[in-house]
Amino acid sequence: MSNTVRVQPDLKFVQELQQVGGESLKKCYQCATCSVACPLSPADAPYPRKEMVWAQWGLKDRLLNDVDIWLCHNCGACSDLCPRGAKPGDLLAALRNMAYRNLAKPSCIGTWMSSAKYLPILVLIPAILYAFIWSAQAAKLGSAFPLFVANGHEWAVDPQGSVVFGGLFPGDLFIDPIFGAVFLFMLFCFAGGISRLLKSFEGMPRTFIVGRGPEPSFGSCLIDTLKNEVAQHSRFRNCGEEEKDVQRVTGHLFLFYAFIALMVVTGVVAFGHWFGAWFLERVMGIEGGFAGLIAWAGHTPMPLWSPVKLLANAGAVALVYGLTKLTSRRTSLDAAKSTSNWYDWYLLTVIWGIALTGLGSEVFRLMNQPVIAYPVYYLHLICVFMLLAYLPWSKLGHLVYRTVALAYARKIGRLPMGELK
Amino acid sequence: MAEKLGVYICEGCDIGKSLNVDELVDYAKKSKLANITPVVKKCPVLCSPEGKAEIEADIAASGLDGVVLCACSPRVKWDIFQFGGVQVERVNLREHCVWSFEDDPKLPGQLPLIAKDYVRMGMMRLSKSRVPAPELPETHQTIMVLGGGFTGLNAALEAAKLGRDVVIVERSGALGGKAATMYKSFPLSAPFNKAEDTGITGLIEAVNANPKIKVLLNAELKSLHGAPGLYTATVNDQPLEIGAVVLATGWVPGDKSFLAPMGYGSIKNVVTASEFEAMVKQGEIKRPSDGKAPASVAILTDVRLCTKTVEEAPEAACAEGEAVAAPAAEAAPAEAEVNPYPDKESAKHLAYSSEITSLVALKHAGYVREKLPNALAYVLYDHMMVPGINERYYKAAQDEAGIMLSKATITGVKADADGGVIISAKDTLLGPDVEIKADLVVLPTAVVPTTAHEPTMNFEYRQGPGFPDLEVFDGFADSNYVCFPYETRRTGVYAAGCVRQPMTMATAREDAAGAVLKAVQCISSANRGVAVHPRSGDLSYPVFNFQRCTQCKRCTEECPFGALDDDEKGTPKPNPTRCRRCGTCMGACPERVISFDTYNVDQIGSTIKEVYVPDDMVAGGPRVIVLCCENDAYPALDMAAFRGKKWSPFVRFVPVRCLGSVNAIWVADAISKGVDGVILLGCKYGLDYQCHFVKGSELCSRRKVNIAESLGRLGVEAERVEQYEVSIDEYDKVPEIIDRFMSEVITKFGPNPFKGY
Repeated sequence: MSNTVRVQPDLKFVQELQQVGGESLKKCYQCATCSVACPLSPADAPYPRKEMVWAQWGLKDRLLNDVDIWLCHNCGACSDLCPRGAKPGDLLAALRNMAYRNLAKPSCIGTWMSSAKYLPILVLIPAILYAFIWSAQAAKLGSAFPLFVANGHEWAVDPQGSVVFGGLFPGDLFIDPIFGAVFLFMLFCFAGGISRLLKSFEGMPRTFIVGRGPEPSFGSCLIDTLKNEVAQHSRFRNCGEEEKDVQRVTGHLFLFYAFIALMVVTGVVAFGHWFGAWFLERVMGIEGGFAGLIAWAGHTPMPLWSPVKLLANAGAVALVYGLTKLTSRRTSLDAAKSTSNWYDWYLLTVIWGIALTGLGSEVFRLMNQPVIAYPVYYLHLICVFMLLAYLPWSKLGHLVYRTVALAYARKIGRLPMGELK
Repeated sequence: MAEKLGVYICEGCDIGKSLNVDELVDYAKKSKLANITPVVKKCPVLCSPEGKAEIEADIAASGLDGVVLCACSPRVKWDIFQFGGVQVERVNLREHCVWSFEDDPKLPGQLPLIAKDYVRMGMMRLSKSRVPAPELPETHQTIMVLGGGFTGLNAALEAAKLGRDVVIVERSGALGGKAATMYKSFPLSAPFNKAEDTGITGLIEAVNANPKIKVLLNAELKSLHGAPGLYTATVNDQPLEIGAVVLATGWVPGDKSFLAPMGYGSIKNVVTASEFEAMVKQGEIKRPSDGKAPASVAILTDVRLCTKTVEEAPEAACAEGEAVAAPAAEAAPAEAEVNPYPDKESAKHLAYSSEITSLVALKHAGYVREKLPNALAYVLYDHMMVPGINERYYKAAQDEAGIMLSKATITGVKADADGGVIISAKDTLLGPDVEIKADLVVLPTAVVPTTAHEPTMNFEYRQGPGFPDLEVFDGFADSNYVCFPYETRRTGVYAAGCVRQPMTMATAREDAAGAVLKAVQCISSANRGVAVHPRSGDLSYPVFNFQRCTQCKRCTEECPFGALDDDEKGTPKPNPTRCRRCGTCMGACPERVISFDTYNVDQIGSTIKEVYVPDDMVAGGPRVIVLCCENDAYPALDMAAFRGKKWSPFVRFVPVRCLGSVNAIWVADAISKGVDGVILLGCKYGLDYQCHFVKGSELCSRRKVNIAESLGRLGVEAERVEQYEVSIDEYDKVPEIIDRFMSEVITKFGPNPFKGY
């Protein structure tokens, strides 16, 4: 009798799931077409069939501790083929949304991120912060839309000068400390989320794989996951065979590498500025040579031919291209088969915002149109803040949670049927 | 007797191409019946308007009283070949002769011989047939509806709508039956996704307001005497003249003690579906233990814990039943004259009710959600049987968040200390072994037909007061015919509703209408002296030559429909309106005193004798007679020929009404004439029989054993007479059967030793 499990149904949980994107979950009649259709489902206790019946019975404990929701890459084959229109793909997406909402603390951000009605709060936090900085600087500089000329290491206001964002929003004082803090806050929150996630998986059954030897370490699994699933999108490529699925993988790959490129650019700028210009040149007093090169590489605004700038622009173009692909796919989804939820649209919109305001800032800066360039840059700051600060509670949280879950699944042997050799 | 025959040979459909029709015409003109056959003609297309006009002209000119149409199967164009009172015999040259002909390599050129045989046989068959002239009884027109529940009320209204007088006989003091005790019914109308009011109040009002319907309450049918159209029903002490009966006595809830393995009786908060229904009808859902509203209700439909014993050992259960019955039968005469009606209820009725159980579970889950919006309803089922439109009802229940469904095998039900009930289940959708706790548990109620407990009809028939075959159906007064749901084995009584099968009210409503139409058809057939079913419109009826009857009672015992009563001496008393014209009595009669005007022992015997049997089997080939059932085997042969199947040219087919009508003398005569083998080709028999007359092919198989014994005594191999079972769709097997018989029997045993005598 030790294997007997007491079932504790929870109506509230069912209703909650229905609200966050699984509204069709009750339609499932357990034919298992979904699990057969899924290209990534493991042979043993395949998803999403079992998740459907758990959801119908409101078995909260099982669903919240289920690693399988992260194995799904949401190609929608299950929902396409479901004879009852139960949309299992949407349910798994809803469960992931629930995880974004609940894994990381403080939970109030999770709540704010869960529904469009809290969007004003999320926007107002950075908007007020940067508006405050802007107005304080405007008072100090004597203009809300100042033009600058270089004066040694400083920027001097000059009506004949040009638009310099670092002049109005000095990086050393405002941009870098704020985003640094936001970044650390995000990492800290993620750490809590990851530990809760791993703890929830403890009850997952181990799959014994013949000829595999002892269970690999989490670290080695993580490296494998980063090499395959993350860097090459290996699972994602196998998720769905239709044109729209290919489009999705391409779009996602572009987006992913665009972010990598922009991250490198940000890293070079930060490194050049803080290590090259500040530490080496100013603190150590080393002038020219290698130190000068490092400082120069991080110096903004950059000339357009700078390789770093070229990389940044290439990243921006890739970003827009990827976004276009993903957005066009999402808008052409058959609502009867699968639907997009608030989490999907939030993330897409914020990234679109970053891309468009980023490019806009650059273009209007080069056109030297302060009245447009500064507000666009202001919006850009808000968008970047909204992406970074709320990342653990947004759909982009999958970047971390899915990676961890995939590594964990590797460790316990929960692999797609096709990957078991 | 047809005394002026016309013979017409069609040249269409390959007949003219394959046969020398002129030669055949000459042959018929010179046959031994030539003296009564003034007209023999060929015709390019007999079924054309010209062909038909020619026949009609000859009938008028020569005063023909019978026509032999040598063309296609009698199963086609029967609507064309009708000539008022003139008898028609169809000779199937197309299917039996031309299309299915296969040349024998050793004895080629048999085709003309086959055609000549069939023409001769047809002429002989018709010459031995006369137009029946049944007595037309003065029939009663009133339809009696037994049972005033949902089905009965609907039946009464349907019958009244058709202009019939109706008597509703209701045992209790009020109309409404089970429906009146229900809170709601499954969906009765579009969009078929929610429980509805049963509408029983409206039905009762409509019935009470209808001047054609007489309602007898507190009334019981004491006996039903007579025959369709001529019944005298004794209700309480009042005799009523009745034409036909719709049996709508419905069901009673099954014995609750069968539910003991699921905790009923020992756990307070375990109730049956009918108890739960009554609870909701009264207005509130309460736990019996403390009267509080439950927070969760588990509805279990998997009853295998209760039916395990009957399902695992059906053989043992039967044997036991017999063993119990036998001493009772011995003891009975000593104690009393009354023969107690053997009760047919068992745990099996729980399983038989599974469709209703599934729907009731969905309905009751809906009640829980309606009456207690915060309570949960769990439905644990082994199957969810919601055929047809009720799938929508299932979908609607499934969509309700508070109704949770899972397949499950219930392994145990036990009480928890706090008054809750813990259900253990395995093989669920939620995992292999689970426990679920509920505040209240609802178990299924079996639908047990009233006929499982009592004869209900109280027929004053020789074969007893109830329906035969109820053992096969475990008490349900179900039909014996796949395609004819309302036929009981007593002509004139048509069952509808849950007495026939566990069914929904929506189905019962249609059932009521169907049974009423059959009752109306029955009365108007009795009026005109024709059979109701399945030989609808057949004017012939069995005629008894009582002078030669030896009162052996075989006919009265073997009639599958209890049509024959008898007197104290055992002389049969025919009731033509009960009769279905199968001829089983004719096949049974050792003295051959029973005959039909259009079908009799002499006629078929003479027809068989018309088959030419060569004295030398090597030179002329063997001969095999196939007596084939015209209901299923004959159509199968037609289909085989139509699809280009071929068979031995040495078989001759003789259609019979049913294998039950085959009299042993036909086989004996055929063998003594030198025929090498006889095939009896009829329907499947046994538990899933397909015989239109229920027992025909089975009786034939028993009689065949006696025939084989007689043949053995004469020194003829018993294997020369064989019975085969075919169903109507097994056309592909018919040629195999024939060819196997030819090779395994005829080739093996050689010529019939009687040949040439």
